[in-house]
Amino acid sequence: MTTSPTMLPQARRRRRSPLPVLLGGAALLLLLGFIVFGNLSRSLEYFVTPTEYKAQSEQYVGRTIRLGGLVRGAKYDRQSLKLNFTVTDYGASYPVQYQGAVSDLFKENQGVVVRGAFTPAGVFVANELLVKHSEEYRVPTSQADIKSMLKDTK
Amino acid sequence: MLNLLSFQASALGTLGEIGLLGALLFTLVGLWLAVMGGVRHDPRATEGARRSVWAVFGFLTLSVLVLEVALLRDDFSVRYVAAHSMRVSPTWVKVTTLWAALEGSILLWAWILSLYAFVLSLTLRRDALRPWALGAMFVSLLFFVGVVAGIASPFTPLAQVPSDGAGPNPALQNHWMMAVHPVLLYLGFVGLSVPFAYAVAALVTGRLSEHWIAVTRRWTLTAWLFLTAAIVAGGWWSYETLGWGGYWAWDPVENASFIPWLLTTAFLHSLQIQERRRQLKAWNIWLIVLAYSSTVLGTFLNRSGIVQSVHAFSNGPVGAVFLGFLAFLLVAGIALAAWRSPYLRDEGEPSAVLSRESAFLTGNWLFLVFSAMVLLGTLFPVLVEAATGKKTSVGAPFFDAFAIPLGLALLFLMGVGPLLPWRRAAGERLLMALRVPGGAGVLALLVGLLFGLRSPGVLLTVALAAYNIAGLAVLTGRAARERGSFPALLREQPRRYGAYTAHAGLVVLALGVAFSGAFKSSAEVTLTRGQPMQLMGHTAVLQGLERREYAYGSSAIATVTLDGQTYTPRSNLYVQGGNTLYPTPAVRYGVFGDTYLVTTNLDPKNGWASVRLISSPLVSWIWVGMLIIVAGAGLTLVQPRLAARRPVPAGAVAAD
Repeated sequence: MTTSPTMLPQARRRRRSPLPVLLGGAALLLLLGFIVFGNLSRSLEYFVTPTEYKAQSEQYVGRTIRLGGLVRGAKYDRQSLKLNFTVTDYGASYPVQYQGAVSDLFKENQGVVVRGAFTPAGVFVANELLVKHSEEYRVPTSQADIKSMLKDTK
Repeated sequence: MLNLLSFQASALGTLGEIGLLGALLFTLVGLWLAVMGGVRHDPRATEGARRSVWAVFGFLTLSVLVLEVALLRDDFSVRYVAAHSMRVSPTWVKVTTLWAALEGSILLWAWILSLYAFVLSLTLRRDALRPWALGAMFVSLLFFVGVVAGIASPFTPLAQVPSDGAGPNPALQNHWMMAVHPVLLYLGFVGLSVPFAYAVAALVTGRLSEHWIAVTRRWTLTAWLFLTAAIVAGGWWSYETLGWGGYWAWDPVENASFIPWLLTTAFLHSLQIQERRRQLKAWNIWLIVLAYSSTVLGTFLNRSGIVQSVHAFSNGPVGAVFLGFLAFLLVAGIALAAWRSPYLRDEGEPSAVLSRESAFLTGNWLFLVFSAMVLLGTLFPVLVEAATGKKTSVGAPFFDAFAIPLGLALLFLMGVGPLLPWRRAAGERLLMALRVPGGAGVLALLVGLLFGLRSPGVLLTVALAAYNIAGLAVLTGRAARERGSFPALLREQPRRYGAYTAHAGLVVLALGVAFSGAFKSSAEVTLTRGQPMQLMGHTAVLQGLERREYAYGSSAIATVTLDGQTYTPRSNLYVQGGNTLYPTPAVRYGVFGDTYLVTTNLDPKNGWASVRLISSPLVSWIWVGMLIIVAGAGLTLVQPRLAARRPVPAGAVAAD
């Protein structure tokens, strides 16, 4: 080397390469991206009315959804806690099965939201039953009412 | 405003509003003085800002007291009292109604913020950071006091004074825990404003040395301690009142409290790297800006009603205002940090891959990814609705899918971290150090298998719990032998052993979560009076049913014996709750599991009741774990007493 030592710039302190951090972060994000896209679309629960379900039933096969409408033809056995009824929204109707205690508020023409999934035979098996009840409750009289009921019921 | 000054306005309402306006005035004055003190290096202006904090604190205290007095005296000329309280409520409900609805909770938030600012003003060092830290606190105060004095005032006059109020939210008068959880949560959320203020001061002054980190640690820990307690207390409330036997539902607002917790936990670990190794300076700034912003995000989600949630209690302009403040915090924080980033150089040699820094940094990444995922899951329905107009929600399976692996990875790192030395570790030394904890983990795994555990998540949790506890025990045992005794260790290094205690508490909590989540079972049955029924291997008999009337509602109480032990689950109706039943389950706590009985439907006239029995093993470990974590975090705040070991000079005692 011909350059005199004094001319050399002072050795810079080695800065940590950001590469490991970036790689680690990217790997984690990839892994999680994988989980998200494998899972998020499956874990997404749609809120639908029977009419909407009828229009696009293939989209909801085997997945958890929330279905809202009015109760018709309820049959409830208090001892076995088995409940069968039909949910309707003036456009379409589907049979619903539920197992569990049912409150007194559950009655004919009551607005309900059920959470569960359809069987291939077209029966909705609910694992959660929400009865719409409030001081200002009135029976929904249109599709739009049922939509807004779905929206309000957690 | 005119109405405010007219004689028709109520005395208490006017006094409360005057308190808020006074607080707002002194916030503006204080902000101005703080900026002047910072720009002109004028200690008198800074002192003025410091005293303005006292005035703000005083005025807000006045407003809080006025509202509390109005609630207790049923003064329905005050808007908030008319809207959220009523004569017949029990006194403790009237007290807690202060924070049971929107305006009052923002007032409480502002008051706690001024309380923190007050304590800060007493403890601040006389240095260059002082005016700017005060100034940043005033910016936060300006927002919250502005909101509560302006668009969400509890004191705006009413056109007509009702004879009785509308009453409190039924869900909030169902359990005493509601008195505890929100206050803890606010203490946690608001506590993060102080480290944030210090970060801003450090950025503005360019004094990005380790000083702000050293001062901030205690504040952050205090906030973290309250936040941890608040989150678990919220779960406890949910468990004790909602009647579903669970404590966490990935509800949007639960998530909104969890995100700041994750980010703060990350910050508490990464700030140690800056303290010890003068690295990760920029990282720490970003983390605290994000953590504080996420508390505002949480409040935005809570108050805007943008996501469906059990906690969302209002729509209105408040949500938009919070979104604006969130945007301001993020933009200002990012701009400040970007402006100073050329100065945010890390010092020293980079650390080896096998070092405590690496463990902390990896943990930080996991915490960040965790919080990003929770945020994604929370906001995804909003995005889907905006894009497609379809109403959706994200179910618990989504959250569990990443929360379980990330939680396990964090448990693993938590065990490695304390075993690794700073800077670098030789691979074989680490293997040596991991021998005992690793062995304990494998042993626990085998014992778990032997006892019939098959769920991989639970097995791994058990193994990692044993490995963590063994690691902590080895480290503590070795140090105790060197120093003589364990109490001496605690005195000398409360910070380290506090952290170990908190880690042990987290292990206990993790076991509780794993077992209660994986092995929760329940069964429902309709009991007729006097007829024994089998319920999950127990003999249940409905002994009696009774309805009790109260001024604020009624309770139906079922007396059920389960293998001879008496349980009295209740179903409560509240006058303002319509027909909605609010259950109070009967819970008998046990070390290995609770017996949890809740009525789902009953008919006192005909003498039957449907009951659900829920068994979730180790669920109390969650609450105990929280208490251990809080104790450990409290211990890390204790000053080490090194002097206790040294002989005291003769003169020192007299001078003390």
